[in-house]
Amino acid sequence: MRKMKGKKLLALLLAVLMMATVFVFAGCQSNQKEDTQDEQQQTEETADVQEDAAADTSLDDVMAKGELILGLDDSFPPMGFRNDENEIVGFDIDLAKAVADKLGVTLAVQPISWDAKEMELNSGNIDMIWNGMSYNEERDEAMNLSEPYLNNDMVFVVANGSEIADLEGLKGKTVAVQNGSTAQDILEASDLAADITVVGFKDNMTALLDMEAQGCDAVFMDKVVANYTISANGKDYQVLEEGLSPEVYVIGFRKGDQALRDAVQQALHELKEDGTVAEISTKWFGSDVTIIE
Amino acid sequence: METLFSTIDAAYMSKLLVILLQGVLTSLRIFAITLVIAVPLGFLVSFAKKSKYKIISVPINIYILIMRGTPLLLQILIVYFGPYYVFNLSYNRFAAIIIAFVLNYAAYFAEIFRGGIESMPVGQYEAAGALGFTKAQTFFRIILPQVVKRILPASANEVITLVKDTALAQTIGVAELFALSSKQASFKTSVIPLFVAGIFYFVLNWAVTAAFAYFEKKLDYYK
Repeated sequence: MRKMKGKKLLALLLAVLMMATVFVFAGCQSNQKEDTQDEQQQTEETADVQEDAAADTSLDDVMAKGELILGLDDSFPPMGFRNDENEIVGFDIDLAKAVADKLGVTLAVQPISWDAKEMELNSGNIDMIWNGMSYNEERDEAMNLSEPYLNNDMVFVVANGSEIADLEGLKGKTVAVQNGSTAQDILEASDLAADITVVGFKDNMTALLDMEAQGCDAVFMDKVVANYTISANGKDYQVLEEGLSPEVYVIGFRKGDQALRDAVQQALHELKEDGTVAEISTKWFGSDVTIIE
Repeated sequence: METLFSTIDAAYMSKLLVILLQGVLTSLRIFAITLVIAVPLGFLVSFAKKSKYKIISVPINIYILIMRGTPLLLQILIVYFGPYYVFNLSYNRFAAIIIAFVLNYAAYFAEIFRGGIESMPVGQYEAAGALGFTKAQTFFRIILPQVVKRILPASANEVITLVKDTALAQTIGVAELFALSSKQASFKTSVIPLFVAGIFYFVLNWAVTAAFAYFEKKLDYYK
């Protein structure tokens, strides 16, 4: 009998433990539920615009919590990165702060893993992805995108003194890219793809270091980032003049969050008009290079 | 090598150390909380696995199989994003890291503890029984102290691995030591911050090794 009791006690203890685990899952913030219901409702009733507007509480939600959460991979200078004080800074951060001010809320920045950005956005952990994100069709389908705000080219970076001078010279060479970036997609879809070997890295920094260590011959990456790295860190790299298709940067919102997207877009228009955008752009790029209308 | 040090000077190094120390604190928090929960839970799991009742032992076996059979990286993603896809809830990312690490490490600890308990000769139970010890007394006063001695080296392996595994917390955006050092590496396009982070991990594990060596020595009686 004694033995039985012990076992029963153990079983009970385990049951309690399992319940506790379930509660930990269930007990945490259930406020996301509404958002997704809205989303579903929206996709079901896309035809009915008025219903749509009624169901979209994205802007009200942000206003209510007084906080706009920007998700970013904080290793993407000069758009969003950590400086030597461990503060997250950058062109996108300054611009987003100005937008948040305009909306009357505070900006919160949440570092995320770039590979998990869609999951972070959909699960409501962040309100938007604003981190030098290039436009492509897949992202347009998965998210509600803003209008383009900055031009970006994808360029080939080679070590100074490299024999590679143009696209022709890249044939038979190894090119490194960041995993999950549009650089990877563009390169793999290009005519060059058959003649080169593409290697994917966690971030551009690792790709560039691989080039320094002669593991690859070139890195295909955002021009904005390449230029910053060369000038700010005095790197002995060269950017090939010949590139592939040009790109634009956009901001990504959740599919159903039309009201929030429109409010941010409107704020950007106003900031462009009152000269704030030009000021921020000059601070990071030396002139107003934005394409906000 | 020259380019490695191009924009890294003494002033930056001191700033880097301050930043990385913040990362060390986060990593140590993950480490300590995981250890404090996973070790007792591991003990419970090791008993449950030995249970005569299939309703307990079978699920526990499956749990251990899954935890040891899939990448911790994947477990972290599932623990954090899973509840959203199943129940539409999202929650704190630090809590998710702790849950994922505890679940994973408890499975490993459980197997170490089971190995230790099963290594005890049956004669000891018989002798204790003959001397009138109850089952509980036998376990806590005779078996457990010896088990602890035997499982220390294997546990040290796990604890050392845990220190380094905290680096996986960056997958869901927790700013631990390795995450902060890679951000600085990107900022400076240099591997120096990563090397410095490596030194931090090394020193931490040196301390863990020394602590285990001390306990092993202290428990080295009857020999």
